[in-house]
Amino acid sequence: MDLRLDPDDLNSCVQCGLCLPHCPTFRVTGEESKSPRGRIALMRAVQDEDAPITTEVVDAFATCVQCRGCEPACPSGVPYGHLMEQTRETLADAGVLTPKWQRLAFKPLASPTMLNVGSKALAIAQRARLVPKRLGISATVPLRQPSLDASGQDVHLFTGCIMDAWQRDIHLAVKRVVEAGGIGVMPTGDTAPCCGALHTHAGLTGESRRLADRMIDALDDGKPILVDSAGCGAAMKDYGHLLGTPEAEAFASRVYDIAEWLAGSDEDLPTAKPLDIRVAIQDPCHLRHVQRVHQATRTVLRPYVRELVELDDDGLCCGAGGAYSVLQPELAGQIRDRKLDVITATKPDVVVSANPGCSMYLSPELDRHGIETIHPMQLIDRALNGLG
Amino acid sequence: MVLNRVVEGAKRLVSPDRPTTSGDPLLDQLRGALTADRVHLDGVQRSLLSHDASVFEGGVAGPVCYPTSVDEVVAIMKIADEHGRAVVPRGAGTGLAGGAIPLGAPIVVAMTKMNRILDLDIDNRIVWVQPGVINLDLTRYLRPLGYHFAPDPSSQQVCTIGGNVANNSGGPHCLAYGVTNAHVVAIEAVVPSGDVLALGGLDAEPLGFDLRGIFVGSEGTLGIATKVAVTITKNPPSVRTLLLSFDSVRDAANTVSGVIAAGVVPAAMEVMDAKITAAVEHYVGAGYPLDAEAVLLAEVDGSEAGIDIDADRIADVGREHNATEVRFAKSEDERALLWKGRKTAFGAIAQIAPDYYLHDTVVPRSKLADVLEEVYAIAERHDLLVMNVFHAGDGNLHPLLIFDGREPGVLARVHAAGDEIISASLAAGGVLSGEHGIGVEKQKFMDDMFSHADLDHQNRLRRAFDPTCRANPGKVLPMGHSCADIQALRRVPSGVWG
Repeated sequence: MDLRLDPDDLNSCVQCGLCLPHCPTFRVTGEESKSPRGRIALMRAVQDEDAPITTEVVDAFATCVQCRGCEPACPSGVPYGHLMEQTRETLADAGVLTPKWQRLAFKPLASPTMLNVGSKALAIAQRARLVPKRLGISATVPLRQPSLDASGQDVHLFTGCIMDAWQRDIHLAVKRVVEAGGIGVMPTGDTAPCCGALHTHAGLTGESRRLADRMIDALDDGKPILVDSAGCGAAMKDYGHLLGTPEAEAFASRVYDIAEWLAGSDEDLPTAKPLDIRVAIQDPCHLRHVQRVHQATRTVLRPYVRELVELDDDGLCCGAGGAYSVLQPELAGQIRDRKLDVITATKPDVVVSANPGCSMYLSPELDRHGIETIHPMQLIDRALNGLG
Repeated sequence: MVLNRVVEGAKRLVSPDRPTTSGDPLLDQLRGALTADRVHLDGVQRSLLSHDASVFEGGVAGPVCYPTSVDEVVAIMKIADEHGRAVVPRGAGTGLAGGAIPLGAPIVVAMTKMNRILDLDIDNRIVWVQPGVINLDLTRYLRPLGYHFAPDPSSQQVCTIGGNVANNSGGPHCLAYGVTNAHVVAIEAVVPSGDVLALGGLDAEPLGFDLRGIFVGSEGTLGIATKVAVTITKNPPSVRTLLLSFDSVRDAANTVSGVIAAGVVPAAMEVMDAKITAAVEHYVGAGYPLDAEAVLLAEVDGSEAGIDIDADRIADVGREHNATEVRFAKSEDERALLWKGRKTAFGAIAQIAPDYYLHDTVVPRSKLADVLEEVYAIAERHDLLVMNVFHAGDGNLHPLLIFDGREPGVLARVHAAGDEIISASLAAGGVLSGEHGIGVEKQKFMDDMFSHADLDHQNRLRRAFDPTCRANPGKVLPMGHSCADIQALRRVPSGVWG
């Protein structure tokens, strides 16, 4: 079957295997079929040798978290993320991957009205203890959301879909931090409802393209677009590749992770008394391995806390992976257990993660160890506003 | 000379391995001994575990087993014995000589799930590990204690201790610290009969024959290690890393033998030529000079008081051999980046062409410059691109022939050039392999290296552990001295993907 993969991209893998330990699914299984090298070999077998798409082949592709931890580890520069996205797109088009129920479940992401109604229903159901644990929704959805209004016209703050519905308090903290530097913020709200990252991961790239087009149209004023979700930021920075147009390239060059933008900004944030806490930094994969701007989190956060500690796992994934923890709960759980061991070994008071998916997935477990999970900007907000 | 092909008392000759079908009792027995989800016969597992990091094609993995204990390995060996099947052990699959590829359709035993660090005895500086522990994970585990595991192959971030034992692996820092053999004190191994052997011991001076030493480097042809005791090494108090640039590879090579001749034994001495340096620099951005024909990366370690003297001597020797620049790494970050560049060199090749064939011969240090010049000439004669990156201190050459396998006829040229490189190294008084092992790659050269009597005795030794020739058959010893029966069936018919 033609997976529609670029033969040169596919051939750039020399099977050296240096990616293996940087792959969370290889780490927890020790199986080649759950490693980047193995998955690339399968892509070749399917595309070049017409190997049949067996259950095992589909499983090898479906179990990839798409964390892209293998990419910085690869000396040959294999564009693994794009290979896997294309593979999934082709297989989803062929009806092999991403069943109908999953496509339906993604619908509300692009529709703020559906998402709000759904979230409210979920919040009520959670409080009535009607939501089974096996659904894998580890966050508690809020019943009511505070309002998020524009304070100026200097920068956009991309608010997104689930994050805006479930974690608007993070957007509010980010907005206050940016405003503290004298910058006026425009939350994007319903004008650009979703970045399409989850769709791309699931192979629904057509829908991602529609969402990207919509966003580029909506935010066409040339102003910087700040993103406080690492997964969304990575997807938006990739619009040039996704759409292949100069407009999309130009748009992508205006996208910044919030810490990246603050670290590169000429305006310094106000100083504040550092919070008396030990903070472990959990780099979201799409911040560290895809955007590769994770150092900025440290630069920006360092003045506001007593102590920053690194996790000794080379930025291995936490298992959240967008919808991965819901779709592959068993593997995700094993990956998370590794992460929890690494985090607890550093004995932090607080863990920061700049991606809503990671923090929602980790926080219920870390709560049990008495460790708070929070967005790095929320800590800066606390320090600036004397809330420590 | 009578070849010891049939051992008296052996239950049966090994039949050529045949593809297993799903109703095969072998499969049921394996699944009963392990668990169903750790014994696979699907096309994905079988095909993927038929390759390692080398270019070699063999057969196709038969059933694939992932044991988690010594008892399970014993069970696999006994079941394999009952069915007359060969067994091929496998670590991370980073081997470059085809040592882990199946020939025929043997049972492949992947040791990656046996990856626990078992016991640390810090007073005696010994750690017991399972064979699937990743080399760098062991060092990472030891780091807070101020120790490390000294053998550091370039693939150390992924290769396993079991694989290191099988190949007697080296690495840049083995110049001063010695290769794997110097760091393994005891091995628990399961031989093809299913017996569990304790080889070596924790005593400083174990009595009797050094069977541990025979097992290290045996490439899976004696059995499967299930537990390894390794010594750990105290981290050096101070380190100096130098980068010397040269206008010719000859000057760099002569500097290396000059340094050793001057009585300095650095922790590591690595040379890269201009082409490989460019590929590496593009990946790591470590500040490698792009205008030098060769660079020498040298490192000395030890107490703060002494190392500057050694570092300066290396710099002086370099200057005597026309070094155009001598640079000291100014920070731990810079040092780490320089080493990252050196250790990912092979993978970085794909930026230039999709395939490479990496050689691994060792020549006397004094002959380095001559042999290198010959290597370049051989590649030119065969119209191939060659790059050189090597453990210069050991005289361990790693010429890389770079090509695009899609080009018609190129493989024949690559193999012809490779054969000439090996012959040139042997003619200079060298040996076949520094650290990658013989595998299937260099078998045919064993006859050039050893006499028939030598090889026959090696085979007898091997048969003492493996009388029916079922442990990774068809590897290391050349045909005529090994299990030729198995080699009759090199390829399994297509369709295993089904």
